[in-house]
Amino acid sequence: MTVGTPVRVEGGAAPSATRAAPARPRPRRRIRWQPAWLFMAPSLAILGVFVIYPIIVSFWYSLHDWTIGAAVQPFVGLGNYVALTKDPQFWNALVNTLELTVVSVGVLIVLGLALAIGLLRDSVVTKVVRSAFFFPTIVSLTSIGLVWRFLLDPQLGLVAGVSQALGSPAVDWLQSTSLALPAVIFVDIWKNLGFVMIILLGGLKGVPAERFEAGRLDGAGDWQLVRYITLPSIRPTLLFATLILTIQSLQLFDLVYVMTGGGPLFATDTLVTEVFREGFVNYRTGYASAISWVLFALIMLISLIQLRIFRYDDVD
Amino acid sequence: MKKSLAAVAAGSAALLLALTGCSGGSGSPSSSGPVELTVWTGFTGGDRPGYAKIVKDFNASHKNIQVSMSVQPWDTITQKLPSAWLTGSGPDIAAPSSDPNAIAQYVKTNSVLPITATGSGDSRINVDKIAPALIKEYTYGGKLYAVPANYATLSLYYNKKLFAAAGISSPPKTVADFQADAKKLTDPAKKQYGLVLADNQTIQMWPILQWLQGGDIVDSKSCSVLQTSQGQASLKPWADLVAKDKISPVGLTGAEADSLFSAGKAAMELNGPWAAPGYKSAGIDLGLAPVPTGTDGKSVTLGSTAPLAISSKTKYPQQAQEFLAYWTSKTAQKQFSLQTGFPTLRTDLADDPDLKANEIISTFTEQVPDARLYLPQVPQATQVDANGYVPLIGKITRGQDVAAQTSAAGRTIDALTGCSS
Amino acid sequence: MSIDASRLPRRSTAPARAGATVKWVVIGVGVLVAVVPFLWMLSVSFRTERDLFQNPASLIPQTWSLHGYLGVWEQLPFLRLVLNTVIFAGVTTLLTLVLDSLCAYALARMRFRGRNIAFIIVIATLMVPFQVTLIPVFIELYHLGWLNTYQGLIIPRATSAFGIFLLRQSFMSIPIELDEAARIDGAGHFRIYRQVILPLSKPALATVALLNFMALWNDLLWPLIVTSTPEMRTLPAGLTLFGGAHVTDHAVLLAGATISLLPLAIAFFLAQRFFVAGVATTGLK
Repeated sequence: MTVGTPVRVEGGAAPSATRAAPARPRPRRRIRWQPAWLFMAPSLAILGVFVIYPIIVSFWYSLHDWTIGAAVQPFVGLGNYVALTKDPQFWNALVNTLELTVVSVGVLIVLGLALAIGLLRDSVVTKVVRSAFFFPTIVSLTSIGLVWRFLLDPQLGLVAGVSQALGSPAVDWLQSTSLALPAVIFVDIWKNLGFVMIILLGGLKGVPAERFEAGRLDGAGDWQLVRYITLPSIRPTLLFATLILTIQSLQLFDLVYVMTGGGPLFATDTLVTEVFREGFVNYRTGYASAISWVLFALIMLISLIQLRIFRYDDVD
Repeated sequence: MKKSLAAVAAGSAALLLALTGCSGGSGSPSSSGPVELTVWTGFTGGDRPGYAKIVKDFNASHKNIQVSMSVQPWDTITQKLPSAWLTGSGPDIAAPSSDPNAIAQYVKTNSVLPITATGSGDSRINVDKIAPALIKEYTYGGKLYAVPANYATLSLYYNKKLFAAAGISSPPKTVADFQADAKKLTDPAKKQYGLVLADNQTIQMWPILQWLQGGDIVDSKSCSVLQTSQGQASLKPWADLVAKDKISPVGLTGAEADSLFSAGKAAMELNGPWAAPGYKSAGIDLGLAPVPTGTDGKSVTLGSTAPLAISSKTKYPQQAQEFLAYWTSKTAQKQFSLQTGFPTLRTDLADDPDLKANEIISTFTEQVPDARLYLPQVPQATQVDANGYVPLIGKITRGQDVAAQTSAAGRTIDALTGCSS
Repeated sequence: MSIDASRLPRRSTAPARAGATVKWVVIGVGVLVAVVPFLWMLSVSFRTERDLFQNPASLIPQTWSLHGYLGVWEQLPFLRLVLNTVIFAGVTTLLTLVLDSLCAYALARMRFRGRNIAFIIVIATLMVPFQVTLIPVFIELYHLGWLNTYQGLIIPRATSAFGIFLLRQSFMSIPIELDEAARIDGAGHFRIYRQVILPLSKPALATVALLNFMALWNDLLWPLIVTSTPEMRTLPAGLTLFGGAHVTDHAVLLAGATISLLPLAIAFFLAQRFFVAGVATTGLK
């Protein structure tokens, strides 16, 4: 796509503004919506059958003391949800999940933006550097979890090996109740940094250079340029990145499962690892479904707040 | 909105029609050929070829039944099997877990078939020749719901080279020697550990340590005895050895403990027969001895078994039981023990001269009479383990107060087992 | 028209130059942190346990050993696994591109009642954790007779809310005037979609294809749940089955991880332009 088509000047909200412009006769408008649903039918059908219907079924489970295969599934109403509020393991998992999300998303956005600005200019060096940062993105979380679990091992890991060679003691990162969660957060950031950088780079490339020049002429310094020109210009991209990262972090499972299994002593237990444990180890499907509905509601709520903060008004 | 819904429905119906055109294969299993049985197990370790051999020999000698075994990690089986068996799309036979107590859940949901083809002879399951503790473990309400796929005991592996370097001539015989040696063999400067102890994702070894010191986890009514004075006294010395004397790193998984031992960084480990080939090929100067005797002078160790059960929805209950009969038969089990080093689960093989001649098999077999299972038939045993026992060990090995933690764990366990005392 | 920073007025003072030095040192350290874990992974996959424990600080094996790779090669139907993965990831990605772009076109370019609801529903499906729907989906697949089939692996994954979202954003940044011009020429929606929007959205489509293909290639749980016979497994699933609980040899585990990464890594180096430049120029808004 030619990123500089003259028409597009205003960023994300522009097309809808243009589209809203009236004075276009729409004589057959009343039946126009039909082809739209045809366009969307395959996708909506798949999402409906394999995501929406199952999540509704799981809500049904959450109202029962539901065990897969049992002859009787006693109805407990909101009993599972009430039990959750008194379950210290649930609160622990909730706090861990929120901590993980806030820290990793915050650091990722700041670092990713800094990298994107730093590597904005196209040159051989910046292209190589971008590739290096992007590389972890293509690797599965399972492999990454495995590699980092071994890297951080106090007996054989490179991290301990190097720190001992430098004269400081080996740290057992993943067995320390206070260090395990930060270690998992670090690896999560390490994995996603390249992705954030690339997405934000895409946004920055779309900002017309004239804006920066105008800013310079007005005597703005580097920080002021970032604050008053860069950030507002890429607001939709920032929102996109923040939203996707938040949703991903709140659902983090593979990495934790491979690195720590939620331990030590539940120090890295997230809501989804708890769902897994309750549902597939303890066979409490109803209870696990209740936890996942809380998680689902939480993700919805946080996403809505983010949409509001970023004033994502292009949904008309 | 009605019209739009109709559009979606039409679209999705068209899509599904277009796609189901190519769906074939499932359904109508029986033509005239041999009966086909599927088996799921999680035996991905060094003992895997032993089980594969049983299946192969069975297929060779039973032309009318063909068995195919699918080996996948226990985690995957844990996630797939409940819904697979519920829908009847699962395997005819499965080892649902490496934890024998997991069978309770499947019994509760009527997913497994009671085993009836018992008796003597090769085509029947010789229940009276299988170790009684195992039959008892798999019996619920007077009915047998699984047969043991294997039976292992834990023994003491030790590194002869490290023993010699520390000036210790023989493996410990008593629990006092065991603890003293563990301390003596620990050398932080060389990153060497006296006795590696795993506490999660492993076959539990901590109960053995407790039993050696006269303690236990629950009593016969499934009430926690961890917080009793014997319970605390059986945990405290070991917790101190880990937390203060650093005889083992904390929070090891089974695999991590094994890799420390096979790298020559640990002098002793309690482990099952499956570990021996790996340690030998890693070049360890390997010694194997029975678990030292307890404070009461008696021998004790942990027995471990995986259940093998039949789906209640199988189309071929008779053939499936015939397969289990072959699996547990004298011929197959002798072959299996010789190939893998596992002790035998059959009482009539205990004195078999070929098995006795093998040093590894005989060490493990020697301990079979003293072996106890972990939380046998305790209600909600998997949760007692995950929410009660494992966190307790994790806390006390990190230096937390044994008295406070055992009483907290005791409350958790009592709530789970429904103990009313 | 990307920003040509050289045209910006720049003050090349001493502090600015010091700033640039600091910047490149920081970036250099970052590159090391990003790359070294992979070099270490490759190195460990060739090392013996003894060497690993004795020289944890070293990146280079003291003695080279192929036992990790030999173990994987001997025990896995390797070509079959690769073929399955290519079918699963490839076909699913193609379907996703078609279905997602159709849906995104409607959401970005057509006016109809219920559009916001449809969009919100699509976004909401992004928020559903997979573990939650696992049991109901399994039961559905059973009733459809799709367990252990390619269609069972592929169809439920043949659309992605993320892809719809990304494509919609990209389509919206294409000037609406182009549609108008085509409409005056008598083009209907499908022709506008095919002849105007799709050709202008190649980078965005490449991005969606790429991200989807990577996610599917790396997916572990889904193929494990849907398939039950070894002939249907994908590469990561097959490798996981190989590295079970009792495998303690780090070389074997990391050889498996290296092998599953290799095809993607090769594709990455061959098609870097798409991987990095592609994602960067989606004109994502």
